[in-house]
Amino acid sequence: MSDSAVRNHAGVDGLAKAFSSLRIETEKPLPARIAGAALALAGARRAAVYLRERDRWQLAFDSDPGGAADDPPDLFLETAVNQGGRLWVPLDAEGETHGCLALEGLDEEGPTELAAGLGILFGAVLAANRLSRLVKDAEFEIKARLLELESLYDLGLSLTGQLDISALADEVLYRSISLTDARKGTLLVFGERGAPPLSRSVGGDILPVEAVRTWDLPAGEAAINNDAARVPTAGVQLSDCQKCLVVPIAMPGRRLGVLAVADKESRDGRVLDFTAGDARLLALFANQAAAAIDTTRLHREAIERERIERELELAAAIQRQLLPRELPRISGLEVAGSTLPTRQVGGDYFDFFPLTRGRLGFVVADVSGKGIPAALLVSTVHAAIYLQIDASETIVELVSRIDKHLQRFSATHKFLTLFFGVLEPESDLLRYVSAGHNPALLARRSGGIERLSATGVPLGLVPNGSWTEESVSFGRGDLLCAYTDGFTEASNAEEEEFGLERLEEELTSGLSLPVREVSDRLFGAVLDFAQGMPQYDDQTLLIVRRET
Amino acid sequence: MSETCKVSVERRGDVAVLATDGYINNQGGEEIAREAYVELDKGARALVLNLQKTRIVNSIGISILIEVLEKVMERKAVLAFCGLTPTIDKTFRIMGLAQYAAIYPTEEEALQAVGTPA
Repeated sequence: MSDSAVRNHAGVDGLAKAFSSLRIETEKPLPARIAGAALALAGARRAAVYLRERDRWQLAFDSDPGGAADDPPDLFLETAVNQGGRLWVPLDAEGETHGCLALEGLDEEGPTELAAGLGILFGAVLAANRLSRLVKDAEFEIKARLLELESLYDLGLSLTGQLDISALADEVLYRSISLTDARKGTLLVFGERGAPPLSRSVGGDILPVEAVRTWDLPAGEAAINNDAARVPTAGVQLSDCQKCLVVPIAMPGRRLGVLAVADKESRDGRVLDFTAGDARLLALFANQAAAAIDTTRLHREAIERERIERELELAAAIQRQLLPRELPRISGLEVAGSTLPTRQVGGDYFDFFPLTRGRLGFVVADVSGKGIPAALLVSTVHAAIYLQIDASETIVELVSRIDKHLQRFSATHKFLTLFFGVLEPESDLLRYVSAGHNPALLARRSGGIERLSATGVPLGLVPNGSWTEESVSFGRGDLLCAYTDGFTEASNAEEEEFGLERLEEELTSGLSLPVREVSDRLFGAVLDFAQGMPQYDDQTLLIVRRET
Repeated sequence: MSETCKVSVERRGDVAVLATDGYINNQGGEEIAREAYVELDKGARALVLNLQKTRIVNSIGISILIEVLEKVMERKAVLAFCGLTPTIDKTFRIMGLAQYAAIYPTEEEALQAVGTPA
């Protein structure tokens, strides 16, 4: 469009019509479009557009970037001025200067009606553009706030039922960094019971772990330090950051960890100050993280408890399988044997082995430890006895073989005490080996109780252990009572133990009863003594008496 | 996660696949924009942005992606996203990116949709 065309369109309306009829390359930035339109409308040789950014003039576009250029004159703002060979046209709208158009090579020199028209037209364009930018920024800001709210909601949902603290930490850290526009961040979760902390970082670790463990951060509050490179944050110098925001992850009375973000960035690459809004947001994330970590740990403990319960049930089932299903019927002998398992399954074991020539072998054993390991060791001992009993000439040989078997196959630090006896009615003898077991009680028909003490060390405890076989007379009416320490160590509310003496007294006073009733009487006495206090060790009792 | 975002570019005919690895913040966003504009100038008619190795995007990164999207639309080209984490997927939907750029679960699906067999 030529100058004459412009002049035919007098005034701003005419310019606007001329402007709208121009073919404008819309993909170019707005200053380039304004300069292009101004060149076409005014017939200028060179057009430059300046924008006002942060109270300073910025050259936004120059149709001749290689040509000489000055900043717009300070005093031109009222109207267009001709200065330095250029016509400086303020681009105003509603009393505000949004930019400046510089034109060179016009036909007519000095401010003209055309220049004023261009100023109003392009001022309005710039104002509309600025308004549009403000609207877009506001819209972006609203969406960003919505995103914050959604993130808090989502975080709450995703942390519910999240049992992996590591994944939980990542989720919290990523969202914290993202929503505060931080360049880096670290989340520390202190380990339980001396375990090392879990640490997650993006952009580098900013928290020195040891210093942070005892950090004096006020619970529920965030610490903003916008001079973190020089000034310690709540007494701790953070690594490699200019500005930081730190918040404790805590439940009432317990500190679970720390969440920190650093170096909030801007679009132009500067590091911005963290604000109270950032602090509030991070504190909310930290609160959610604290609740989730706490819930996760409680959930884990519950799962662990359940696992232990299942293990104990299995151990109890293993133990029950190994106990004799029925008591042997041996002519001339009365036998009884029972185990009272506690909730925490121990490793008690008893069994009878009818032998040749009317003899009866029997064993009472107590394995160290509890649960599955103890039950498995009992199972090993049970198998070893059945495998070796026929091949062994003496009780010592049998016990030695069992010991070797345990030394070879059982886990370390596992051992058992054992009383193994063989009754020989034809010779009126009781032969026995006690491998570190509680003294068995031999109650004589004629009165008095003898304690049959250990004749060697527990099995599986030391390599090359040795045992001796003892024998005592075992006449008609004599009674042998072997038991495990769950019996004598049963305790009452005053933490007093039932003890060997009480056991002997009860045994003596019930001696005339059938052995089944003697057994019931002894169990009853321990139960009465304990007065309902839970016991933590199995109670096993085996009684053998020669009939009169 | 990488401290700085890396962007790799693979050309499939007139479709450019830009794969990011790391945090899309100011630096990451600028890197994406630079590569995207190079590909547009080389005549790409579609850009597929694969964010499979990105876990975090901040608001600066989003504003740069919006600029890239505007540029793509000015050029009458197409932009598609794929490999987004659920969090980033939701972020893009809330911030309006999904309004003008489609989101696909995988790169193969994105390529299929923009007209290039995987």
